Amino acid sequence: MDAVRVWDPVVRGFHWTLVTSFAVAWFTSGTMEAVHHWAGYAAGSLVALRLVWGVVGTPYARFSQFVRDPATVLRYLSAILKGHEARYIGHNPAGGAMVVVLIAAMGLAALTGWLMTTDTYFGVPWVEAAHGLVVHVVLLLVIVHVAGVALASFRHCENLVRAMFTGRKRKAGPADID
Amino acid sequence: MYRTLVLAALAGMIAGPALAAGSCSTAEKSKFQPKATLEAQLKGEGLTVRQIKTEKGCYEVYAVDKAGKKVNVAYNAETLEKLDNAEAGEN
Repeated sequence: MDAVRVWDPVVRGFHWTLVTSFAVAWFTSGTMEAVHHWAGYAAGSLVALRLVWGVVGTPYARFSQFVRDPATVLRYLSAILKGHEARYIGHNPAGGAMVVVLIAAMGLAALTGWLMTTDTYFGVPWVEAAHGLVVHVVLLLVIVHVAGVALASFRHCENLVRAMFTGRKRKAGPADID
Repeated sequence: MYRTLVLAALAGMIAGPALAAGSCSTAEKSKFQPKATLEAQLKGEGLTVRQIKTEKGCYEVYAVDKAGKKVNVAYNAETLEKLDNAEAGEN
């Protein structure tokens, strides 16, 4: 198989450690406070690292490579509905939008969680409510993200989950967008 | 003998903190002291109460002291006895 390197080790490491941080934080909420806090600090740090890597990283890791204007994203979503969306080597427009929204929501979850530990916002009901809400939004986004990955994998006959482990994808065909 | 010692040590590890920290009430909610009573008591101690949550037989208090530092303590909801572990009602 002709494969190209797409996801660099930072992108892959970021992805799976963020998955782990979120899962750990989710399951330690209200029961193992110390672990929950560390999972939150990890998620916040990972988001900060990814923001930097999105500017200075390898080509497919850069925001400029995969963040498109909303109209392009909407056109791609409508192409999905009609069943003729193009295969992208990097993130497709919908995937790119999901990266941005997920990073923002994850960052907000870490931020509101940290606020709950500060003297100023400790025990303040609206901060707790905001954290709870944001975290559930993240969970919802994760579900949509996984569904999108499954759909794209199915449509373009490639295993995108494996690509996030190996970093490699089938090289672009004539109809694909690099 | 060895087994007994290990079991005793384990039992001690589990029971030790619980005994030292006091425990949450096991009574019905109708037996609990009103939150307002606890809040008034805390105000008297100079705390600004932000929230009191009921966690099983405990009240978990979220407050700040006069210096603005956070204070997180649990009380037995029936006796209003102060507990060492703020998460006493959650585990």
